[in-house]
Amino acid sequence: MVQLVGSLRKELADSISTCKILVVGAGGIGCELLKNLVLTGFKNIEVIDLDTIDVSNLNRQFLFQKKHVGKSKAQVAKESALQFCPSANITAYHDSIMNPDYNVEFFRKFMLVMNALDNRAARNHVNRMCLAADIPLIESGTAGYLGQVTVIKKGMTECYECQPKPAQKTFPGCTIRNTPSEPIHCIVWAKYLFNTKSQQQSPIRCFILQLFGEEDADQEVSPDTADPEAAWNPEETAARATASDKDGDIKRVSTKEWARSTGYDPVKLFNKLFKDDIMYLLTMDKLWKKRKAPTPLDWHQLENSASGLKDQQVLDVWGYCQLFQHSVETLRSQLQEKGEGAELVWDKDDPPAMDFVTAAANLRMHIFSMSMKSRFDVKSMAGNIIPAIATTNAVIAGLIVLEGLKILSGELESCRTIFLNKCPNLRKKLLVPCVLDPPSANCYVCASKPEVTVKLNVHKTMVLTLQDKIVKERFGMVAPDVQIEDGKGTILISSEEGETEANNSKFLSDFGIRNGSRLQADDFLQDYTLLINVLHVEDLERDVEFEVVGEAPDKAPPPQTNQEEVNSITNGNKDSAQPSTSSKAFKEPSNLLNDLNGLQYVWDVQLNQFYVNY
Amino acid sequence: MIEKEDPVISEEEAAQYDRQIRLWGLDAQKRLRGSRVLLAGLGGLGAEVAKNLILAGVKGLTLLDHEQVSEESCRAQFLVPVTAQGQNRAKASLERAQNLNPMVEVHADPDRIEDKPDDFFLQFDAVCLTGCSRDLMIRVDQLCSKHKIKVFCGDVYGYYGYMFCNLGQAHNYVEEKPKVVKPSGESNDGPEAKKAKVDPNETTMVKKTASFCTLKEALEVDWTSEKAKAGLKRTPVDYFLLQVLLKFRTDKGRDPDPQSFPEDSQLLRQIRDDVLESLSLNSDLLSDDFIRPSLRETLLTATSSSSTVVKAMAWWTTLDQTERVRLRRFTGKLQFVLSDYLWQRLFCSFSFFSFFFYSWIHFAPKSDTRTAGCFLVFYIC
Repeated sequence: MVQLVGSLRKELADSISTCKILVVGAGGIGCELLKNLVLTGFKNIEVIDLDTIDVSNLNRQFLFQKKHVGKSKAQVAKESALQFCPSANITAYHDSIMNPDYNVEFFRKFMLVMNALDNRAARNHVNRMCLAADIPLIESGTAGYLGQVTVIKKGMTECYECQPKPAQKTFPGCTIRNTPSEPIHCIVWAKYLFNTKSQQQSPIRCFILQLFGEEDADQEVSPDTADPEAAWNPEETAARATASDKDGDIKRVSTKEWARSTGYDPVKLFNKLFKDDIMYLLTMDKLWKKRKAPTPLDWHQLENSASGLKDQQVLDVWGYCQLFQHSVETLRSQLQEKGEGAELVWDKDDPPAMDFVTAAANLRMHIFSMSMKSRFDVKSMAGNIIPAIATTNAVIAGLIVLEGLKILSGELESCRTIFLNKCPNLRKKLLVPCVLDPPSANCYVCASKPEVTVKLNVHKTMVLTLQDKIVKERFGMVAPDVQIEDGKGTILISSEEGETEANNSKFLSDFGIRNGSRLQADDFLQDYTLLINVLHVEDLERDVEFEVVGEAPDKAPPPQTNQEEVNSITNGNKDSAQPSTSSKAFKEPSNLLNDLNGLQYVWDVQLNQFYVNY
Repeated sequence: MIEKEDPVISEEEAAQYDRQIRLWGLDAQKRLRGSRVLLAGLGGLGAEVAKNLILAGVKGLTLLDHEQVSEESCRAQFLVPVTAQGQNRAKASLERAQNLNPMVEVHADPDRIEDKPDDFFLQFDAVCLTGCSRDLMIRVDQLCSKHKIKVFCGDVYGYYGYMFCNLGQAHNYVEEKPKVVKPSGESNDGPEAKKAKVDPNETTMVKKTASFCTLKEALEVDWTSEKAKAGLKRTPVDYFLLQVLLKFRTDKGRDPDPQSFPEDSQLLRQIRDDVLESLSLNSDLLSDDFIRPSLRETLLTATSSSSTVVKAMAWWTTLDQTERVRLRRFTGKLQFVLSDYLWQRLFCSFSFFSFFFYSWIHFAPKSDTRTAGCFLVFYIC
């Protein structure tokens, strides 16, 4: 295989052919990576992926063909790789890496772990597993033309979670319900209307249906009367009462109940959402002092004035009215077919579901004086689609292997974080290496005794919120155990199913938790303990349930052009091995990896690029 | 002459190419659909290029290679089945290449590229040459420039690689730039004030032209001229290493081989001396230290590393005109970048498939597509 001359090369070659490596993910990066590993001479490879093959994967995941659509990615990737290297020993797992079967002992089998993931939750998890097992991890990500590779080694480098990552961007309820100003607000509204709670983190999205299924109080779509900006006074109540729709009092009846009561009549639905509710919003005149007021639509008016002209990609308003009607009818029959108590699940690849969101979002955009978007564009935003091509993944996969070879040669100090840019920087470099940073002393994951402080209202925060939103979602635990450091070790949350379910709807204060209380959260699988200091506050920002103290405010990462400049700063010295004098310069580029998996990228066809969803 | 494009993208294409259409737009995808590409050489690098072009959805790709499949071939690339030894390399790669994307017309041609008449090349919109001799590349480059056919050349030597492209004397393209819209007067203060926002409806198309020199010009820079001497400092030494490797290939009919390490390294040193002397340059420009470790450690991994992925750099025409002209004169669009911390004296090889693909997407014989000036670079990271 590798020709041998000189001792170093021989050792490396032996290492390559005998060591066991784990590839997490068999998608865009995974396919290229598997190919590279096999051709480089790696003999013992295990690959894991929970997903199945989709036709949209075929433009870059070249180990898959049309005939494989629907099959397990890991399995087919293994079979295809064996085609060109029959002597390789590949084990494929069609499973989630977060499954407790893959414990620290499992990870310890490997000399090297390589991530080829597309979501933050899994990256957090693998980060912790590799820290617990003390195995080097090569982390990577791509989006469009951009890519990044970095190496994580316990005690030597920053771990994946050393740097605070911008949290998933969410919008305040009143923006969604009352005062949208961007197309994305309207799209989110439309999805809430269908009731979809799309989890960016997990490839298995969990959807809840509002209009057509299960309700979620967090995703109410009707006008928000509690909008502090509106600050309406009681005298206007009468005006509001008449303005409110005839078919249902907004305040008392939920959207779903109302819709059901009308038999999902599209025109009635349309009039409530796009006429009556809007007229109601108009009575909250304080909202419109500095904003352009929305204009309600009238179905019959539109019907009569329909121009009949259709723009190739973006329909006119009447076009979307028809699309709305048609999709509601289709979804209604889908619901009916399913029987009593049925729910529909939103899926960007389900045409009527996509049509519905396209139509509803566009109608709302029009009402709020925004230019409407084509179905193609709406799908990008609603479906959180990240554009992807084969070559970016190929480059990144190559860089992963090169970093891997450094690690196997025992040359960790020569490992780098490498950024793949879209345009060459001032030094004419497209690939920009940066020296790896040492671990952060305050890291809430890899510090010796990780600790955080969380601001919340102990009287208003439920145990369930603590479990799902704080310990799991924010702090990345998968199966947490939480106990109170009250001398008694009172168990608040148990990872054993059902054990502490009774606690879920209770408030933290019910357990004596108050300002200054300390909670110990453990994830046995991740071998991770986190001490949470509770900081009680009466009020937090609107729609914010908790805040982690010491975190940078929710900021969007720098836009494309800044990255360019930053990289040239980083690469200011001729010899890039010298650390940059600007520490800030290092911070910004590494956010790219965070961005790639955490933030919502919006594809803008006209700009021909994606930008962060503000 | 990209074939007249079918304006309608089929549903199958829209579904399969969805993720890339969302990146470079429908227009670029249509241009790809109408283009025919020639790829010479199906070694590790060629296979990567083939994969990327096929996945991208070009109209047709012709795989041209007269070599036979050896034991090494199977380990170098993933298109040739292990059972295909002794067969022609292009033909052996055909089936798997075609399976990557049935919508592309893939052909295999077992002839020697040197035997091809001029008009053979004229049927293509772009030509990619790997593993070719210096003279052949110069000949094809000259021929293609005359007929406005895009040319890309490149090779991988162990951890070392280069890429060159020639998109013509007057390559027109457009860059779409968003217009920044200032907020309207009323809400300039207060919490509702909107920052200057990019209005996605407002973009301007900026017309640009890039000019590329020929391979001959790039390789035959006169280093005795004042301007060239001044530019020498900024010219990576890898440029000269390339000259050495190309001469080795011409003289020996093969690339340096670790199996013949002693004779090859001596020959390389000799060629280095000859080359630098003929260019009237100091022989310590390319020191022994440079070559020996690269031979010892890099060329040794020729087989495996040629399959590792690398990207050549695209030199965007955001460079100002003067810079472009200067570089064009001294090195043409031949550029090498070396950074030495990766593995001390080791060079990383990169296949520039991604670059091929990358730059291909971004240009068109007609104006109005976004493009990047293409350069060859090989990059060590």
